[in-house]
Amino acid sequence: MTKNILKMSPAFADIIPAEYRELVDNGPYGRDVGVAELGTFKELLEEHPLCAGCGLALALRIFLASLPAPEDTIVVGSTGCSSLVFPQAAVQNIHSLFGNQNSVASGLKRALKLRFPDKDKDVIVVAGDGATADIGLDMVMHSWFRRENITTIMLDNEAYANTGGQESGMSQQGTVLYMAPKGKNFPKISMPELAREAGCVYVAVGTPAQPRKLEKMLKRAIILARHVGPTYVQIMTPCPTNYKFKNNETVNRLKGLEKDGVFKPREYITAEAQEALNRLEEVSK
Amino acid sequence: MSQEYQVLAGPEGYLPPAAAVMGVELPKTGEALVEGSLVSDNEALHKIADKLLSAKNPFFFPGPLLLWAWKAGVAERAQAVRDLADAVGAGVIPMPDYRPKYPMINPAIEINPNHPNLTIWHNKIDVCVFVGVHCHYANIALKIIRGGTSCYTIALCGEAGHEDAMISLRDVNLAKIQELTAIVMDKKRQIAGGGK
Amino acid sequence: MQKVVSPEHLFFEAPREQVFITGSEAVREAVRRANVDMAISYPITPQSESMHLVGDIFKEGYIREYFRGENEFAVMSAVAGASMGGVRVFTATGGPGTLRAFELFSTWSGARLPIVCAFMTRGVNSPLTIQPDTIEMSYLLDTGMIMLHAENAQDLYDYLLKAFPIAEQTEVHIPVGVFADGFFVTHTRENVKVAPVDIKLPPYNAYSAPVPVMDMENVPFRQMRDPFVMKSNYVSYAAHASWQQEVMAAAERARPSISSYLGGLLEVENADADILIITSGTAVSIAREAVAQAKQEGLNVGLVKIKCIRPFPTEEIRALTKNAKAVIVPEFNRVGWLAKEIKSIIPDNDKVVGAPRVFGGMTMPTQSILAEIRRCQA
Repeated sequence: MTKNILKMSPAFADIIPAEYRELVDNGPYGRDVGVAELGTFKELLEEHPLCAGCGLALALRIFLASLPAPEDTIVVGSTGCSSLVFPQAAVQNIHSLFGNQNSVASGLKRALKLRFPDKDKDVIVVAGDGATADIGLDMVMHSWFRRENITTIMLDNEAYANTGGQESGMSQQGTVLYMAPKGKNFPKISMPELAREAGCVYVAVGTPAQPRKLEKMLKRAIILARHVGPTYVQIMTPCPTNYKFKNNETVNRLKGLEKDGVFKPREYITAEAQEALNRLEEVSK
Repeated sequence: MSQEYQVLAGPEGYLPPAAAVMGVELPKTGEALVEGSLVSDNEALHKIADKLLSAKNPFFFPGPLLLWAWKAGVAERAQAVRDLADAVGAGVIPMPDYRPKYPMINPAIEINPNHPNLTIWHNKIDVCVFVGVHCHYANIALKIIRGGTSCYTIALCGEAGHEDAMISLRDVNLAKIQELTAIVMDKKRQIAGGGK
Repeated sequence: MQKVVSPEHLFFEAPREQVFITGSEAVREAVRRANVDMAISYPITPQSESMHLVGDIFKEGYIREYFRGENEFAVMSAVAGASMGGVRVFTATGGPGTLRAFELFSTWSGARLPIVCAFMTRGVNSPLTIQPDTIEMSYLLDTGMIMLHAENAQDLYDYLLKAFPIAEQTEVHIPVGVFADGFFVTHTRENVKVAPVDIKLPPYNAYSAPVPVMDMENVPFRQMRDPFVMKSNYVSYAAHASWQQEVMAAAERARPSISSYLGGLLEVENADADILIITSGTAVSIAREAVAQAKQEGLNVGLVKIKCIRPFPTEEIRALTKNAKAVIVPEFNRVGWLAKEIKSIIPDNDKVVGAPRVFGGMTMPTQSILAEIRRCQA
């Protein structure tokens, strides 16, 4: 079923620019397409200004292809590199301020529940590590404490990249970055574990180096947020610009970090969420 | 504060003010704005028809509220606007959304509220009509056009109208668009017949 | 079951019952009739009680959603998210809470969100105070929001209820802050006339907004709130500038509705007097008493009550003060923001007396205003 917002007025169908026509004719709306079908459908991301080799760019491409219902998805972002992508993405997106993304999403999700009680509107937060683990941490955690039905996705590049490469709470201990001239002197924040303790029913740490696995995590997180409670996905997205590695090395670097045990993919799920997942995955079979 | 501030074709200069701040008030029901002054709806309709028919290169800029048949009645209104543009002999360039596209925009085929001047300059448009654009974005664009171009702006607004356009109707619906088309057709016949 | 009626009926035609209530209870009674979808709360003295009472009417079914946020910045953010989702929202704060949330207020205006927020004004630290003071209004003057200043609980009830249709007009669609002096209004009891409880405002129509609603049910589906116009080039700067001008224009467009709903942006008693007192909020009540006492001394003094601080009644004040010999501006803050506003718009502004000014929780004795009147008369 195509939604009306995707139907061209016949009187103007001849002048709609090609990029829109492609989205309508061959986009992912209302269709069961995902990462495996990349290249066969018009992607939601038209173009983006991120650096060559940016881990975020790859993660966001996978994220947008993984949306279970892009035609009913609103993404709430925060200031940072990730927010530079969404002006070019064909989902509705809110950028409010730096750090308030989970509060904005809480209000939005509750508003949409009031207005569309019979529809699932996926409100998904996508923000960087600075926005999620530092400046917005209290609001991120309180949205979890309150059991808001939203998905929170952190794009973790272990730095404030958009402001030029400063230390964040997610940087590794010892890393020399701006504002950590002698090296960071405390460990990386254990956000996945905080998420688990704070009420997230599903927590996953993934990497764009394994797109199919990441897609599965994202889909689970979004579906479970609809039906069970808050979910959290942390995606490792290395930054060639600020960590000064070659921009064709991003995927190799991800694999290397995992091999060295620096980066540890993991998943936590509550019994209730697992039960719901079994039921939902059974239905979709 | 000057009550005589006139909303005229530009270029008005570097960062011209919003007309509302200069004392221009929106029309009430049944009224319209022509160059900053309140006139009757009917007078404005005739003024619009005259402007469009005397233009060298008029263009309509339908926005998302008309381009997409997102709710009942939109497809019909879109058709009526297209018929009006055809009656005038005007071109049509869409404003599909509101995110800035500079410098990637192709001004031959689209217009963007954040840099509407690029499309107007590129196509040498001397009279334009905004229709189906959310009011906030229409006003942003109308001010930029007045500041930097000589284009004459007309707004066919379904809500309360636009002080920043040179001519603005309010509460425009299907019947109003059809009425305007009829006036245009009538004037064309008069011109073809040598006028009265 | 409440019946939806027109704003005009609710405000002017429906019979009114007189009740003896506090300012906080007046907030409850206004919100009860405002057809509010969602309210989000956070405690701060002297505001807390008003949002407790709004919670009570949520429980009674007058509001569809209500919760306590984690701090004022978060609450104002959640309110913004809800408003972008197309519902009518209400919240309240004051003093330090206002400052904690500050980044959001200009963001609400810029994003064209018709949020109604009550501010129960209070002094700000340091040192800690919970006492009445209107200094936060000074900070909020240039955030782009409409600012109404209530004198008493009746005003608070009226202005709050009227704030919704003022804010939600397509051509306006910016936030309205309704200000009441903390404790003086919130915690005192007075006679307030209220509309019947079984009628309420029409619902908010999200699809008449001047910006798209973030619900993936309206166009364009490719939409960012708000689109970035921050690239380093002339085109982006010009777009941002035009955007800001449009927000200022939106406040200007509110003048007719504020004027018709509130009976003018200001109210005058004895306009032709040589000495005029111009003020807002509870200082108006004190000034009114001072004017009465001055009259007994044979002194002819006029009183101007400013109801709407933004947009400012510039032309009205210019006309009123033209022939006055002195203009006295009593205020409940140390900076004298209202006196500054008035001085900035009239030519012979050396006749403006920015006094008395009280703060720190001090009251304003009528004698302090009378002293200024006598000084001006001499």
